[in-house]
Amino acid sequence: MRKVYVLGGAQTDFERNWTKEGKNLVALLKEVVSDGLSDAGITWEDIVEQNRNNKVGCFVGNFVAEKYIEQGHLGAFLTEVDTAFYGVPSARYEAACASGSVAIDAAQAKIQTGEYDLAIVVGWELMKTVSSQQGGNYLGLAAYYEKEGKGIDLPFPKLFGRLADETLNKYDIDENTYFDTLAMIADINYQNAKRNPLAQTRKWFMSFNQARHRGTETNPYVGGKLAVSDCSQVTDGAAIVILASEDFLNAKGLLSRPIIKGYGHRTAPLLFDKKMDDNKKSEYILPWTRQTVVDAYRRSGLSVKDIDLFETHDCFTSSEYVAISCFGITSPGKEYEAINSGMISFNGKKPINPSGGLIGCGHPVGASGVRMFLDLYKQVTGKAGGYQVPGARNAMMLNIGGSATTNYTFIVGTDE
Amino acid sequence: MNAIHTVTVIGATGTMGANVAGIFAAFGDAKVYCIGRDMEKVKRTIPRIIKSVKADSIRENLIPADFSMIEQCISESDLVFESLIEDISVKTDIAQIIAKYLTMNAIACTGSSGLSIKRIAECYPEEKRRHFFGVHMFNPPYNMSLCELISTDYSDEQTKKELKSYLHGKLFRTVVDVNDSPAFLANRIGFQFINEALLFADRYKDNGGIDYIDAILGPFTGRSMAPLLTSDFVGLDVYQAIVDNLYKNTNDYAHETFVLPEFVQNLIKNNWLGRKTGRGLYQTIKHGNDKTSIMVYDIAKARYRNTIPYIFPFAERMKKCFRNGDYQEAFCELINNHSLEADLCLSFLLKYIIYSLYAEKEIGCFSGAADDVMATGFNWCPPYALFYALSETVDVSLLIKERLPEISAKTDITNLLANLKRSNYDYRPFFKSGIQ
Repeated sequence: MRKVYVLGGAQTDFERNWTKEGKNLVALLKEVVSDGLSDAGITWEDIVEQNRNNKVGCFVGNFVAEKYIEQGHLGAFLTEVDTAFYGVPSARYEAACASGSVAIDAAQAKIQTGEYDLAIVVGWELMKTVSSQQGGNYLGLAAYYEKEGKGIDLPFPKLFGRLADETLNKYDIDENTYFDTLAMIADINYQNAKRNPLAQTRKWFMSFNQARHRGTETNPYVGGKLAVSDCSQVTDGAAIVILASEDFLNAKGLLSRPIIKGYGHRTAPLLFDKKMDDNKKSEYILPWTRQTVVDAYRRSGLSVKDIDLFETHDCFTSSEYVAISCFGITSPGKEYEAINSGMISFNGKKPINPSGGLIGCGHPVGASGVRMFLDLYKQVTGKAGGYQVPGARNAMMLNIGGSATTNYTFIVGTDE
Repeated sequence: MNAIHTVTVIGATGTMGANVAGIFAAFGDAKVYCIGRDMEKVKRTIPRIIKSVKADSIRENLIPADFSMIEQCISESDLVFESLIEDISVKTDIAQIIAKYLTMNAIACTGSSGLSIKRIAECYPEEKRRHFFGVHMFNPPYNMSLCELISTDYSDEQTKKELKSYLHGKLFRTVVDVNDSPAFLANRIGFQFINEALLFADRYKDNGGIDYIDAILGPFTGRSMAPLLTSDFVGLDVYQAIVDNLYKNTNDYAHETFVLPEFVQNLIKNNWLGRKTGRGLYQTIKHGNDKTSIMVYDIAKARYRNTIPYIFPFAERMKKCFRNGDYQEAFCELINNHSLEADLCLSFLLKYIIYSLYAEKEIGCFSGAADDVMATGFNWCPPYALFYALSETVDVSLLIKERLPEISAKTDITNLLANLKRSNYDYRPFFKSGIQ
């Protein structure tokens, strides 16, 4: 199988509210596509040329635009961006909050097999089009709606609140210690976001003190014992990455670019209850999430020792917590050690979410997987600016959909 | 400069004072003595401060106080922030009190938006003058990160450096060094634009006046709020003070555009000061069913009327373009449409670019300061970004000379635009379509 190179990409500023700006999907795509192509050094002519031989494709990740903007057939919208996309095969991929990763996976497969030499992956979501209550209802579609979402206010905070409760049940951790480490995760991600000029929360105030005081007027409970500070926020945004084959790189005379070294993709039981029933024999609370990481290590020939930083799916602090052992940074049940010791902090040995993660950057659902992947690319090419992890050569991401139903991992690293 | 652990805010019940106290208590994690005249009123302000930074956890950092405690508060403080009314005698009086109790390495600041920082500095004894600065923040500071930092001839360079680092690194302000000039930089540029718009409202009162001009210079021209609506939000009395200060104390090519129109003076005489009094340039009418409607002051008829939903073809086309992300097409439309309204709109934008660059140079700010102040103080498309946005379609220098011959005669456009630094800001988010 051929190597898959990452040429570059871009993302929109996740602070922006495209409804307030009065801009539509086409405006969102036009900006992110032109910014991404520019970053990658790709021209419209390159696309036209590749398309003559049917060697370029577009892969769109989006969760549920059918609800948010009442629009389907999303793959076709690239043709609204520029005439260069006329005739370019394009489709939309979906797996709730992991939609972006599915799109990346589909793209890498086409390049690995030699079908395409160039792939344009765009993940996006416009969520500010409806009220937060309505939006919360739509997010319930990522769960088994009839059983876990319908008639329930804010279903996802409740599901991840249950993950927190189950974590406490399964492992021997003091409850206060556990919730304090969750508050530390929130604080780390908010402070990391302050170094990220495209992060939604970069101007917001958060401190460990604020995060650990739950149930106050400014930090109300939202699900189980989780509060607002434990949650990522809904926002609008798009991210794009451009993948290419070695042939394309050579033909364009491009210098070395990072490659996708490995990936994992597993689908766990849909219902949260069934996930918990399924983990009884495992030391991991989310065994299929762990398996996804193991698959990526196997495919890449790397282990946790080789990974310089992680971007993980902190839709809630409780999901980042369990990711720590899934990555292999600690053994399961000992995640708090990595938090308390500073290991996962920005200056630690295994920084998690140097970009700010979902909590810091915001979570435009379909965009997040691609945004994480873009951040891996930025880190290993030294382009992460204010949130650069020094000397990063291999970076790993974990992108989940629903209550860790769809699990995706990618490892991106320098081509050596 | 000491590490800043304890702060005193004088005037903590005022809008800016309260918001500034929140910034110090939250981002600065400082103990903040909140001083007001009436202890009970200060206590009632605490919940507002907490809400302004959305953090109950800062409550223990906020200590309500009144003037009887001023000696204790100031002598314990690493930084004292004065946020009283814009009156030179009020500020010089309090400066003398602060000077008495301020410790040797502590910093004293005024949040004044345009009074002479030097004059206030001179109320301090020589050795304490070195640690006195103007620290002008914008409202609300949680959203608007601009902080104009004004030093005087007396200021200590090292202290200034450390204060700047604190404001930027700890309080996350966008700090812009500004010399002690009338209204500093942001308000000079912003209020020149707004007042000229007000003068044009008067000139074009028979086309509709206030809402006519606001419709020509609305959010589709690169700002979140139309200019005359903005002055209503600021409050016409506060607005008048700023513009009068600029008229009295500056004398550049835009001098005559700082004359406050007579109709505004009349509104102020009637105490119709804008949003805070329910009416000014606009009037909010509350209906029984919780609905409100907006009326506008008709300058020609000297009474309030319903706003007119103006439809200018050039503006409608621009808005449609912005909705679809066709920014250059929108600018082309603006440049090539020669309706009266399109010409007015474009000339205002071009005048804004030139005055921004001129004022930046005149006040002795670094290149790009105008961008920082307009983006983070006014939330307007900053001038450098606007210049480069238009440059993708047209030679802006030539366009300015063609459309603004009078200004081109008064100031050296070529020199101002030569080798213009690239902007750090993306112009695209500033241009709204207004279409839902």
